[in-house]
Amino acid sequence: MREFRFERPGTVADAVRRPAPGTAFLAGGTTLVDLMKLEVMTPARVLDINRLPLRGIDQTRDGLRIGALERMRDVAAHDLVRRRYPMLAQALEASASGQLRNMASIGGNLLQRTRCGYFRDVSVPCNKRAPGSGCPAIEGENRMHAVLGASDACVATHPSDLAVALVALDATVRLRSRAGTRDVALRDFHLLPGTTPEREHDLRPGELVTDVIVPDLGWASRSVYVKIRDRQSYEFALASAAVAVRRDGDTIAEARVAVGGMGTRPWRLPAVEAALAGRPAAEASYTAAAEHATDGVRPLRHNAFKPALMRRTLVRALLELERIR
Amino acid sequence: MSPSVVGRPIARTDGVAKVTGAARYAADADVTGVVHAVLVTSDVARGRITAIDTAVASSGAGVLAVLTHDTLPALTLPAVTSFYLKRFVPVQDDRIRHAGQPVAIAVADTLARAQDAAARVVVRYESAPPQVVLADALGEAYVPPPGSDGPNDYTRGDVAAGMAAADVTVEATYTTPLQHHNPLEPSATVASWDGDALTVHESAQGISITQNVLAQAFGLTPGQVRVITPYVGGGFGAKGPAWPHTLLAAAAARHVGRPVKLVLSRAQTYTSHGHRAETHQVMRVGATREGRLTAIDHVVTQQVSRTEELLFNSSEPTRMLYDCANVRSTQRAVRLDLPTGSFVRSPEAATGHVLESTLDELAVTLGLDPVELRLRNWSAINQETGAPHGSNHLRECYTRGAQQFGWSRRDPRPGSMRDRDGIIGWGMATAAHTAGGRPGSGATVTVGRDGTARIECGTQEIGTGTYTVMQQVGAQTLGLAVHQVTFLLGDTRYPAAFASAASATVPSAGAAVVRAATAARDLVVAAALADAASPLHGVAADRIGAEDGFLFVTGQPWRRVAYRDVMARHGAPISATSTPVPTPLGYSTGAVFAEVHVDPAIGRVRVRRIVGVFDPGRILNRQTARSQAIGGAVWAVGFTLTEHTLVDPHLGRVVTPNLSGYLIPTNLDIPDIDVDFIDRPDPDSPALGARGFGETPMTGTTAAIANALHHATGHRFRDLPITQDKILAALS
Repeated sequence: MREFRFERPGTVADAVRRPAPGTAFLAGGTTLVDLMKLEVMTPARVLDINRLPLRGIDQTRDGLRIGALERMRDVAAHDLVRRRYPMLAQALEASASGQLRNMASIGGNLLQRTRCGYFRDVSVPCNKRAPGSGCPAIEGENRMHAVLGASDACVATHPSDLAVALVALDATVRLRSRAGTRDVALRDFHLLPGTTPEREHDLRPGELVTDVIVPDLGWASRSVYVKIRDRQSYEFALASAAVAVRRDGDTIAEARVAVGGMGTRPWRLPAVEAALAGRPAAEASYTAAAEHATDGVRPLRHNAFKPALMRRTLVRALLELERIR
Repeated sequence: MSPSVVGRPIARTDGVAKVTGAARYAADADVTGVVHAVLVTSDVARGRITAIDTAVASSGAGVLAVLTHDTLPALTLPAVTSFYLKRFVPVQDDRIRHAGQPVAIAVADTLARAQDAAARVVVRYESAPPQVVLADALGEAYVPPPGSDGPNDYTRGDVAAGMAAADVTVEATYTTPLQHHNPLEPSATVASWDGDALTVHESAQGISITQNVLAQAFGLTPGQVRVITPYVGGGFGAKGPAWPHTLLAAAAARHVGRPVKLVLSRAQTYTSHGHRAETHQVMRVGATREGRLTAIDHVVTQQVSRTEELLFNSSEPTRMLYDCANVRSTQRAVRLDLPTGSFVRSPEAATGHVLESTLDELAVTLGLDPVELRLRNWSAINQETGAPHGSNHLRECYTRGAQQFGWSRRDPRPGSMRDRDGIIGWGMATAAHTAGGRPGSGATVTVGRDGTARIECGTQEIGTGTYTVMQQVGAQTLGLAVHQVTFLLGDTRYPAAFASAASATVPSAGAAVVRAATAARDLVVAAALADAASPLHGVAADRIGAEDGFLFVTGQPWRRVAYRDVMARHGAPISATSTPVPTPLGYSTGAVFAEVHVDPAIGRVRVRRIVGVFDPGRILNRQTARSQAIGGAVWAVGFTLTEHTLVDPHLGRVVTPNLSGYLIPTNLDIPDIDVDFIDRPDPDSPALGARGFGETPMTGTTAAIANALHHATGHRFRDLPITQDKILAALS
C-alpha cells in the first residue's frame, strides 16, 4: 500500500468541496482498501465519508430512497425492501460473504471494481487500470469474463449483483458535487468499456453518490434474483437474473429482466421483456423469450458456456416466479 | 478397569486460546525492536534482471535497507535432504526462474513504510515467453531419478501378459489441476540475531527442518538456531519444507542489526511455498469377467519447475492397494516455468482419484457393483513390498460403510434415481494413504514432585489437536489423569521431532511420548517399590499398574499409592528422554460413499451427504480424529468440484492469487459428513495402536463424488475440477 493522506470531512459539502485528482471516498472499504493493498488504486488522499448523514431507507415521493452509506446487510434485512422488492434483498444476500455485507455500503457496491485477475495484478497490462497497455484477458484466462458489451480493449465483467436488480427496477443514483445535485438512471450510470475502459461510470470528478432511488413498482413484490455460481456462497455470478413479472390472469402483461455475470455492466434485456409481454405465463414462453437474452454475445475461449447458461438461468428465474403465491 | 484416557473425545485444550485470540502465532511474537520486511517479487516468469533501481525506495522515511542480489550477503544453498526443496536461493543472482520469485527485500521501521518502499523498487527485466501449460509440453516428459518415495518407474509382473489375459480392459485419460494449500495463516517469520545465535518465530510444520536449513544457509551449527512455533494456523504441507522467505528474513535481520518480521501477502503464498502440481494421467486396467484385476498400467505426468524435479503426486495407491500381479506405475515430469511444487494435503489423492475413478469405469463395464469389485481385489498385504500390514480392516470398512449409507438401495443405472428437483447419484471409492514410514522423534517426560508430568517434544500443532492428543497419550502411558499432564511443543530446545506432515505426528511424536513416558513411569514405579513405607514395597515391577494418578498392584487395586505421594517422598523430579526411532510404514484405509444431486437444467451439482468408515488403527481422540476426517472430506469437495489455480498461459502468472478467486468450499457447499471408525489397535503401531491418519480421508472422497456424478449423469468427468459448465455441456 502506498502512503496517502487521510481526512474525515464533517459534512457532504466539505466532502465534495475540493475535487482534487487522486481523491478517493472511503465507505465500507471492501473494494478500496483491498485494491489499495494491491496497489491497483493508489489515491493520494482518502476521504472517510462514514460519518456523513447518508443513511436511511425510507419512502419518498420518487420511490424508495436508500442512503448510499447503508450497509448491504441492513438493506437486505429492511422490511420495505423485502416486501416490495424481494429481488433486491435476494441479490444482496447472494452477494459476497456475511462479513463483507456487514461492511460494504450500497454506494460502494455500485462502484465496485471488476474481479478480473489481470486488473488486480499491477505487474501485467490492463487497459482499465493502465490505459493503452493491452488486455491479457482476451487471450488469457477468461472463463469469468463478459460476453456482452465487451470491446477489444476490455472484457471485464461487472461484478455487482445489486446493480443488476436495480437496473431491472429502473433505479436512479443521486449524485452530489460542488455544482449541486443530479439524478442519473442507473442504466446510464455504468458505461460500456469501448475504447476507454478506465471510465466506468458517469461520475464527475469529486462527485459523490448520496442516495439510490428505486421507483415505485407495485408488482415488483413478485420478483426474484437467481444466481448461478461455482460455489454456493462468497462467489461472483457465472450467470444471474433479476426478474419481475406483472401478470394479467395467465398472461404476462409486463416484465422486467436484467442479467449479471454476462456483461461489462449490469445488463437490462428489453428484447426479452418485449418477447415476454402478452405471452402465456408458461415455460414455453420463457424459453422462447430467453433466446433473445444472448443477442449479440461475443464468447471468448473459456466462457462459451455462458450464453446457454444465461438462457437457462433466465428460464429458471421465471419458473421460480411462478412458485410465488 | 476405568475407561481408557486415549480414545475419549476430549475437546482441544488449546481451543479457547485459539478462538479468543490468546494463542500467539508466529507473527504475534512480541520481539522488542522488531522492524518489518516486505518481499519484492518478479513480475516475469522467465528471464533475467537487467537493472534494479532502489534509490527512491531507499530514501523513504524509516526505510532501513532495500536489499537486492547486488547487496544481500551470500547464503549457502541448503541440501535438498534438509527439506529446503528449492534448488536455488533467490536474491543471489539476476536469474528469474518463475513469476513471484523474490528479487528484493525492503526493510523499514513500520509495515506501511516497508510496503511503500517495496512498491517503489523499480526492476527491469529481459524476459522470454514462459512455458507453463502442461498439455502443450507433454512431449517433453521424462522419468526423473528416484525420489524419497522410491523409483519413478516401477514394475511388478508382466503387464503386457496381464492385459492379454484380461477379459475386459479400460483405458482412460484424466487430468487434475494446479492447486494450492491456502492456510488461513500466511507464512510468517520473526528473526532476531544475538551475535551468531539466531532465534526465529516461524510458522512451520517442522521446526527442526527450519532449524537445520537456517543453520546450513548461514553456516551455523543447529544449536545456534532456535525455532519457536507454539501454533500453526494451518499448513497442509505449505509449511513443511523450509522456503526462501525464512532465509531472507533472517538475512535481512542480520543486515540491519534488528529483529525482522516478514509475513507473506496472500498473493505471495501462491508462489512462495509449493503447490500440488497439475497432472495428466493415463490409466489402463485389465480384469477378468469376474472382476479380478489382471494388470494395471498407470502413467502419471506432472509439472515440475526448471530447477527442481521432485514429484509429489506419488502413485502409492496404484502400487500398493489392490491384489494385482502385474503392475506398471510410471511417474513422469515436465519442466515448466512455474514455482517449485511440493506436497499438499494428501499427496496421494491425485493418483488415487484416477485409480478409484477407473475402477468405477471398470465396474460399469463389467456390470459389477463397485463395492463388490473392490472386495474381490482386496489385498491382505502391501502389494508393493509384499509385507503384511500391521492390521487391515478395509473389508469391514466397505461393508459397514455400505450399510450406513444404504448402498443396497442403489439402482446402478445412470440417471435412474431422481427427486422432484433433479437427479441423484451415488458413488463410492476406497480411501487409502500411506502413513508414517518417516523419521522418528524424541520427547522428554518429567514427573514433578507434585506427581504431575510435563512433556516436552519438538513437534508442532498444525490445527489437528496435537496438544490434546499427546497429553492423552502421555497420561495413558504414565497412568495419570489428563489434567495432570502438560504437553509442550514448538521449540527446538525440546527434543527434536519429525515434521507435522505425512500423517506422521501420531506414529513419530506419539511413539516418542510413549517411549519416554514408559521409561519415566518405570522410574517412578522403581522409586515406589524401593520405598519401605510404600504399600507397593517389594512387589515385582511387572505386577504394577498405573491409572488415574495411582500406582497399584494388578489384581489388588486397593494396594495403591498416588503418584503425588511417591514423588513427594522421592523428593526430586524424575525424568526420561526418548531418542528417535524411525516409524513403521503404515497404510490407513477406509471406504467413502457420496451422494450428489444434479440440477440438470443448469448443471448445478451439490454434494448431499458423505459417509466414511476408516481404519486408522486405534483412535486416540474420537473428536479430533473425526475432525480430521471431516477436514479431508471438505478438501475432497474442493479438489473435485471447485479448486483450481489459474495461471495465465502467456504471462506465467497466477491469475487468482486470493481466497475470492481460488474457490475453497464454503459451509453451504459442505453436506453432513458421517464419519465412523473401525477403531481396532494396529499391533505394529509404536503409538498405542494408532496409525497416522490425517491424509487418508481426503483420498477416496474425491473419486466417490466423481463416481456419484457419473451415476447421476451417465457422463464420466475426467478433467477436474468438475464445474457447472462441464456438467451442463455433458447434459445438453
